[in-house]
Amino acid sequence: MSRIGVFVCHCGENISRTVDVEQVAKAAGDIPGVAYSCDYKYMCSDPGQNLLKKAVSEQKLDGVVVAACSPRMHEKTFRKAAAAAGLNQYLCDMANIREHCSWVHEDKKLGTAKASDIVKLMVQRVKKGKALAPITVPVTKKALVIGGGIAGIQAALDIADAGHQVLLVERDPSIGGHMAQLSETFPTLDCSQCIMTPKMVDVANHPNITLYTFAEVEKVEGYIGNFSVTVRRKARSVDEEKCTGCGICMTKCPKKKIPNDFDQGHGLRTAIYVPFPQAVPNTPVIDRENCTMFQSGKCGVCAKVCGPGAVDFQQEDRVTVEAVGAVVVATGFKLYSIDRKPEGSAIQGYGEFGYGTIPDVIDGMTFERLASASGPTGGRILRPSDGREPKQVVFIQCVGSRAREKGISYCSKVCCMYTAKHTMLYHHKVHDGQAYVFYMDARTPGKGYDEFWRRAVEEEEAVYIRGMVSRLYQKGDKIVVMGSDTLVGVQVEIEADLVVMATAVQAQDGADLLAQKLGISYDKYNFYSEAHAKLKPVECATAGIYLAGACQGPKDIPDTVSQASAAAAKVMTLFSKDQLERDPVVAKVNEKYCVGCLACKKVCPYGAVEEKGIRDRQGNLVKVTAYVNPGVCGGCGTCQATCPSKSVELDGYTDEQIMAMIEAL
Amino acid sequence: MTAGKKRLNYSYYPGCSLHASGREYDISTRALFKALNMGLKEVPDWFCCGATPAHNVDELLSLSLCAKNLNLAEEVEGDLAVACAACFSRLKTTQHRLKEDGNKLKQVETAIDGPAALGKPVKHILEILARDFGLAKLEQNIKKPLMGLKVASYYGCLLTRPPGVPDLDDCEDPSIMEDILRALGAEPIKWSHRMECCGANFTLSRPGVVLKLSNAILESARLAGADCIMVACPLCHGNLDIRQQGIKELYGNRDSSLFGNIFGSEMQQGGDGPATDRRDLPIFYITQLAALAMGATPEGLGFESVITDPKPLLRDKHLL
Repeated sequence: MSRIGVFVCHCGENISRTVDVEQVAKAAGDIPGVAYSCDYKYMCSDPGQNLLKKAVSEQKLDGVVVAACSPRMHEKTFRKAAAAAGLNQYLCDMANIREHCSWVHEDKKLGTAKASDIVKLMVQRVKKGKALAPITVPVTKKALVIGGGIAGIQAALDIADAGHQVLLVERDPSIGGHMAQLSETFPTLDCSQCIMTPKMVDVANHPNITLYTFAEVEKVEGYIGNFSVTVRRKARSVDEEKCTGCGICMTKCPKKKIPNDFDQGHGLRTAIYVPFPQAVPNTPVIDRENCTMFQSGKCGVCAKVCGPGAVDFQQEDRVTVEAVGAVVVATGFKLYSIDRKPEGSAIQGYGEFGYGTIPDVIDGMTFERLASASGPTGGRILRPSDGREPKQVVFIQCVGSRAREKGISYCSKVCCMYTAKHTMLYHHKVHDGQAYVFYMDARTPGKGYDEFWRRAVEEEEAVYIRGMVSRLYQKGDKIVVMGSDTLVGVQVEIEADLVVMATAVQAQDGADLLAQKLGISYDKYNFYSEAHAKLKPVECATAGIYLAGACQGPKDIPDTVSQASAAAAKVMTLFSKDQLERDPVVAKVNEKYCVGCLACKKVCPYGAVEEKGIRDRQGNLVKVTAYVNPGVCGGCGTCQATCPSKSVELDGYTDEQIMAMIEAL
Repeated sequence: MTAGKKRLNYSYYPGCSLHASGREYDISTRALFKALNMGLKEVPDWFCCGATPAHNVDELLSLSLCAKNLNLAEEVEGDLAVACAACFSRLKTTQHRLKEDGNKLKQVETAIDGPAALGKPVKHILEILARDFGLAKLEQNIKKPLMGLKVASYYGCLLTRPPGVPDLDDCEDPSIMEDILRALGAEPIKWSHRMECCGANFTLSRPGVVLKLSNAILESARLAGADCIMVACPLCHGNLDIRQQGIKELYGNRDSSLFGNIFGSEMQQGGDGPATDRRDLPIFYITQLAALAMGATPEGLGFESVITDPKPLLRDKHLL
């Protein structure tokens, strides 16, 4: 006869409000095989855990069920306590009567009955359970950082400075990301490039960092401590080893009028180019779609003028496979391009703002490039249509953000501050100009932030109008801004020379596809989900994968850098151990009965099933069976459900356990 | 209509305006449906939808009036065709409100003394032309393409708003009118004020408001080079058509930039914009233009009963 202990938690009032916990404990005591049951206000607290420990040793319990919250919350806590009292930790299980019961029900009578049923099931499971030993796996002390913006750079530098190897993969030809595009940064107005470029150079020079730019992560396999990543390094058409970065190829390239994405399409570049002069690495790349050599086979000027002979038109993509132990995802954001409604998207467009049809309606990032000393206008604020200096500039906040009816309900977080910054930069550069800002609320939580915004209003003479804009239209060479001032209660029309829209921060294109490769979850806006909003803000639910920066949600630079350093610290914690323990909830094949149909191999989402030849002593092949690699197995149980001969089972979830649970109902 | 395919049949809720001040809209709608061989049967014994006054005074009253009308519409086969933008808006709003709010539905069912039928699709004429009949088929059926006619399509407030209710087109940047105009062979112009308010029923209580708002609409259409404006609402038609004389009396014979900067030069007269003659702009209903293009007899489309005479323009474009 088993001696199971059942501990029912009140969770303050979280459970006891809708479940009669005393009744549940009492009913549990009557289940055959239960030797002890009680209820307690907070089982996870120190006294609660002691109660459990004491009962295990005094009552000589051989199994424990804690009826409380989700096992994702406290399974580790209680297993540790049970182990401390000498019980095999895998004989301690949780009955989830909070998330699965008390939180979702109102009727106390029904809730109590359901909680009792859940406890009954778990008692059966523990009764049929076996003592298991944790699996240990080695840790590869090398990290993959995906994305070379400020988040990825900070995480890579921190991990590398701690003495670990880092592989930094960036999709664009240079690292730097959006921060490299910015002119000056809030709330101190220090030049973005001046604080950014030294870090970029540090990355390039760091002995522990391998930098792959113009590269993309193609495949990620494995698990915490033991990932195998496949990276495609796209053909640059320039040999990185040979190139000295002299730049003569760019001065001689005859194709000079290609819009440069780095300048939001407002500056021009050549077909062989670096996105900006401070690029790291300072190795050009050939844009094959715009290169005369690639399009018509004639030209090759860059190859002729290149001293070291670095230009290589025949270069092909290189695919490398690397072993890493941890992954930091830092893929950043994109700005909502507010045109008409994108095909097949739940997000409505802003056709009424004429973006894309009125040339002097631009987005915030374009304004950054106009204000940047390295930008297409050399830092002068000039409007795109006719190059004139605008005297009246209207800034519109919350374009796309906080607009449920347009499909995005979240706040993009950075726009209030950068718009305040824009009005200052404009005022500093165009002294007789006037800036207007249409806003819903000025949201400025952050150190020195509110002071910064007030300075824009009180000292830099920006006129803030609380209200939204309904429509923009061209009238002569002006743009008429039709809006409302909800504080005064009037309709407002302003004839502006330039309109700057603070468009919503959105997840990068393809963020969902990368998440699927990594096996991490994401929300409906494709922002990556952290394991816990408050207590695990940088970890993914998938072990060994961490988040940094705006790929998780809109973030400014200070927050991004903080999170990147936090992610790096988590990686270092992981790398401080040589071996990792993981739960032994893995599938095992009964080789005696397995007929080697390998149906399990076809359905295994982790690729953990291999073929195994069973040989006699002479080495003759007797039969082929399936074999589950315990290091790779994710414990999902798909093989168990698929196996036609019932010869593969998940430890902790055996058929016997599950049948016993069903019978208990 | 392709041979063998079922003829499109609609029940029809004209609304009060279409039996009175907006008679041209009603007769041209009937003419258009006839020309396109679509059935149109008026709902028997319908009454007022409550328009703007009812819902301003009592929501339950306004919902109940529409619910009762929707019940009456069940007696006639076919989706409910509505021409008036306000009737369309009220009927759609009623369906939307009562579907999402069970308590409100109970109140209304008590008020109308029976269950409310909310299932019949309510369709605006624009929707019927562009989607049910189809733009391609519309183009095939043209007898007299509206060649060279530059039309400013005016949506007004109610056709596409509020978000999620009428579900006719993009809320702030629709294109259904322009699409139809193109199919009819006309030239839809790009202009700024197609979604602005004309002043609506302030035309009776505060005509000054209507003169100001309608002037801005007319002026921007003229500046954009329109020959005429196309509407899908009897009240918009009334304001834009009837008030042109009053606008001239108030603002003079020359267009002026009314759009001043409230922080700078407020309400400047004769501003930076190119001033033009405040020439008359004929106002058409969508059904008048469509029926004309489909070869309906112009005499039956009500061109003679509007204030700003459209016939000179139509003759000029060889459409009469």
